[in-house]
Amino acid sequence: MATTTASLTLTSTDLFDDSLSISNTSTLHKAGTTIGLDQTTGLTKTYVTATQQFDPFPVVKGATNADENGRVYIANLSEEITEYIIVSIGDLVVGRLYAGDFLWMPWSPKLQHVNDIEITPSVATGMWIEFMAIHNFANIYPNSADS
Amino acid sequence: MATTIATISLASSDLTSSALAFSSTNPLNTAGTATGLSLTSGLSRTTTEYGSSSIIESTTLYRSDDAATNGANKVYLKNLSTTPAEYYTVFIDQEEMGRLYAGDWAFFPWSATAGTKETFIMTVGGTWVAGETLEFDGVLTTAANTTVADIAAQVDAQHFPNWTTTISGAAVTFTARHSMDAGTVVTATADMVIVQAGGSDATAVVSSAAMGAATSSDIMIIPSVHTSMTFEHMLFHQ
Repeated sequence: MATTTASLTLTSTDLFDDSLSISNTSTLHKAGTTIGLDQTTGLTKTYVTATQQFDPFPVVKGATNADENGRVYIANLSEEITEYIIVSIGDLVVGRLYAGDFLWMPWSPKLQHVNDIEITPSVATGMWIEFMAIHNFANIYPNSADS
Repeated sequence: MATTIATISLASSDLTSSALAFSSTNPLNTAGTATGLSLTSGLSRTTTEYGSSSIIESTTLYRSDDAATNGANKVYLKNLSTTPAEYYTVFIDQEEMGRLYAGDWAFFPWSATAGTKETFIMTVGGTWVAGETLEFDGVLTTAANTTVADIAAQVDAQHFPNWTTTISGAAVTFTARHSMDAGTVVTATADMVIVQAGGSDATAVVSSAAMGAATSSDIMIIPSVHTSMTFEHMLFHQ
């Protein structure tokens, strides 16, 4: 069993009249347990040069683990403020990550292609993107063919 | 302009054979600019609880109308439960994103894909008598005089729970507060209830009714249990 922690802080001194300071740390567990998630795709950094949609976490999912759970990290490492990536689940757009933005969200993959996470860069001039999944799903293949 | 800083840190000494430790910090800016997001829902807490024999309903946290479509909006969610088996399933529209178990949090962008709000024009006409009434959306307007433009202005000055209004002469344009697909039914003249005095022919005719279309990215949660669970959430948006 592994122990992985994810922390988030959100701070502002001028968003409200009073300061905002949110700080959270959670330990990543298998569903409904206190046993740590034990699989990861690893932290991937990639340079994309096309606006073609791609699948950072291809799913070839057959078996279902009773306690499956997953978290996804995606970051747009671009420093050009107008550049963004569109993050989708299945056919639905979640949102846009502009330069420097990141996300951390739960993920419940179904069958292949059903609710895969997809990334679409806004430009073809080259963007650095970072992503990682931490999970205990069966059959998440970082290098498998998918679409 | 506000400055709000988000920082994520991921750490593990034993997930892989080499330690994992990285963090990322970024200011929350509006789309394609270096200007900070200045709008927020505020940090909210929502408790869900259902009778043991009732159906567990979904709770809409944010409607797409609440934020700019394709803005650099961000959503923060946290399940405050301390029972490991309890979770909230997070949906965007009908698409399941995933489950947040006890103590889990999420922070993600939100495109807030807008729908279309139903609209119609209601034109005050005919001959009115002071004291006659017009009721719509649970709001009663009592004609102060016989001038149709004045009565329309009275209607426009009302605060309707489900509609906003603008006025041009005796015509009041109603716009739904929320995008919604109402099927094939649009607001019609019959929905304007006029109580006339004897001999009056007061009218309030609805025209140019246009159906709305549902949004396609409202954020909803569904708890895993009927018993009380509490969720914390915040929207940063433009």
